[in-house]
Amino acid sequence: MSNHQQLSRIRVSLALVAAVGMTVLAGCGSSSSSSSSTSTASSASSTSSSAVASSTSSCGPKPGQAATGTPIPLGAINTKEPGTDFTDIENMEGAYFACVNANGGVNGHPIKLFKLTEATQPAQNAADAKELVQTDHVVGISGSSSIIECAINSSYWQKLGYYVIAAGIAPECYATPNYADVNMGPRYSSDGAVQYVLSLKPSKIVFDQSNVPGTGYIAAGPAALASAAHVPITQLTENVPISDADAVALKEVDDAGPDGAVVLNFTPPEALVILQAAQKLGLEDRVKAWACSTPCDTDFLSTTLGPKWNDKFFVNAELTPPDPTNTPTMNLYKAILKQYGSDVSGGIGSFSEMGFTMGEIAVHALDGIKGAYTMKAVNQAFVNVKDFNTGMLCEPWTYGHYPLHIANNVDYTVTPDNGKMVIKQGCTAISSVDPQIAAYRKAAGG
Amino acid sequence: MIHPLLVPGILGLPSWLDFQPFLVTGLALGGVYALSGVGMVVLYRATGVLNLSFGAVGAMGALIAWSLTNHSTVPQGVAWLACILFSAVVTLAYGMVFGAALAKRDPLVKAAATLGLTLVLLGVMDLLWTTSGGASRSITLPSDNSGFMIGQIQVVWTQVIGLAVGIVMTIVTALFLRYTKLGTAMRAMANDREITATLGVPVRRVEAAAWFGCGVLSGIAGLLLADLVALDATTLTFLVISSVAAALIARLRSIWITFVAAIVIGIVDSMITPIQSLTNYRDMTPFVLAAAALLLFSRRGSVPLSGEGL
Repeated sequence: MSNHQQLSRIRVSLALVAAVGMTVLAGCGSSSSSSSSTSTASSASSTSSSAVASSTSSCGPKPGQAATGTPIPLGAINTKEPGTDFTDIENMEGAYFACVNANGGVNGHPIKLFKLTEATQPAQNAADAKELVQTDHVVGISGSSSIIECAINSSYWQKLGYYVIAAGIAPECYATPNYADVNMGPRYSSDGAVQYVLSLKPSKIVFDQSNVPGTGYIAAGPAALASAAHVPITQLTENVPISDADAVALKEVDDAGPDGAVVLNFTPPEALVILQAAQKLGLEDRVKAWACSTPCDTDFLSTTLGPKWNDKFFVNAELTPPDPTNTPTMNLYKAILKQYGSDVSGGIGSFSEMGFTMGEIAVHALDGIKGAYTMKAVNQAFVNVKDFNTGMLCEPWTYGHYPLHIANNVDYTVTPDNGKMVIKQGCTAISSVDPQIAAYRKAAGG
Repeated sequence: MIHPLLVPGILGLPSWLDFQPFLVTGLALGGVYALSGVGMVVLYRATGVLNLSFGAVGAMGALIAWSLTNHSTVPQGVAWLACILFSAVVTLAYGMVFGAALAKRDPLVKAAATLGLTLVLLGVMDLLWTTSGGASRSITLPSDNSGFMIGQIQVVWTQVIGLAVGIVMTIVTALFLRYTKLGTAMRAMANDREITATLGVPVRRVEAAAWFGCGVLSGIAGLLLADLVALDATTLTFLVISSVAAALIARLRSIWITFVAAIVIGIVDSMITPIQSLTNYRDMTPFVLAAAALLLFSRRGSVPLSGEGL
């Protein structure tokens, strides 16, 4: 065969390959067309969006009138890496601000949110903070949620005089003067989950969490609660992303025993693979109870897991459970999520609730500023927030000049119920057996 | 005399009964690692390329299957076929374009080039199937919903399929290489590509077949691992490490040694899980076993240099 013939053959083969590839991608295109059908759905929902518009219009002072003043620049830093992704939080806060901006803004000013991400790298966190301050000239930080951001940047914010509104994780998010959080974070949320399963009188608790920085700090809370209740506790950590969920689920169940309880502290995708593995292997009934910290409070988890977990799996909910709640604030949250939250991939759930709540607090604080939106004025307004009823938390939210902040320390417990999360236990204070909770209540005069 | 079943208890390890469920999960994962490892070894021997994009290609195929199942009316079976077809076509296309262009380059360059494909696919997956926030995806095969008990151990049919596919594909590949014309050509190329070419074997066509076969295996492995482990682009992409380790233990030559090594890696990785003192180090299993095997082979001087067939 001549070279020319060979080349022609190769070309024909390549053309065939391309054709088949295009066919397959076109099949996948039903996913893209699902994106476009999402757009179509958006237009469909924008048809119904007049109904939505009326409900979202309450997020700003002038319904339907876009803010045209000088933008108020705010910044946020969220963790985004394989196995851990908190960007729904800043995306939902951005959605809230978009709603406010479309309905009059804050005293006529739109809010511009600079959203940065980091991958648990100290240098990247420090660079993000400097970028927000020096390049983007943000006057306030609201919407941050990162595994290590507080640890890296707390002294930087303190030095510059920024009072950060965050959804915290690292100890410094709670134990320093310049951070106040809308959530309880993994430690106190895990406290809540452990506190609930302790009420079921288990013979043992297995507490398993992601092997990321700060696990020792988180584990200290559940350990204190279990110790006070004289229940043995085994602490485990798993490398994420989890690549052997069957083995992890088996290990947890074996360690806990038939009268024990398994408490998880993972992001929803990781918790899901463990729980699905447990379901597949028929392990859900091999322990007395399963529990999880707040990230598991998503409808998608209860939908994916199915009814086998109804009243068997208990999730600590730091924010008001969205499904059974029909209040104006909750309806506004859902309406904003629907109309402005196209990049909030997790939909209704704790992460988006946190973003919404931080947006509420920031707007409330900014609304009270009478003069120019300088860094000093904005941060003074942030730290002065006191007893603000967010409608999303058990109790009013206060920042305050305290050496530590655990502003949210009263929570719910929810359980799956045929695809929805329903309240199992109403607002309950996290036990002061955790020494950090006791210290905060003393500092805040609680 | 101490009964062997009592040894774990004496050493402070979980009992044999506690280990048994982990043996089942290890065998299932080992079977899929074997499937991947065999595909990689056959491709390496036929083309000289260590295909590090094996996991990423399978991951994207699995995500396509998920999209077709969840966002269209395509039947599940067709979605799985699309996954396998996509994996085969992408792998073949890469082989035809870059495999040919890099044919005379160093094996290290060829392997690094497949990392390029891995990164491109990872980027595309991140773009098309964003992992932001609380949601995640999963593939559930019908075989997940039923199984049987061995003593007190629940065995799911998907686990059986994982192991069975590994065994079957290894046997089929061995028979294919031994008894078919194409297989004979591949074995000949494994021994000496130049001489094979001078004997009139259509080298390009044989290479294309190897790339296509490797792609088919990556699609099957992607589907099974998406069910057995998780439907996550990063997780599936880097699960290839266990298969690479198995292939390295076999010196990228013997599919039977690859099969055994993959099964051992799967079992050891899983069996370490309930041992408290070792559980956090179990991700090292493929590296440790591969390093130990290579050291052992080199000490015993049993590293074959050339001429050993598949």
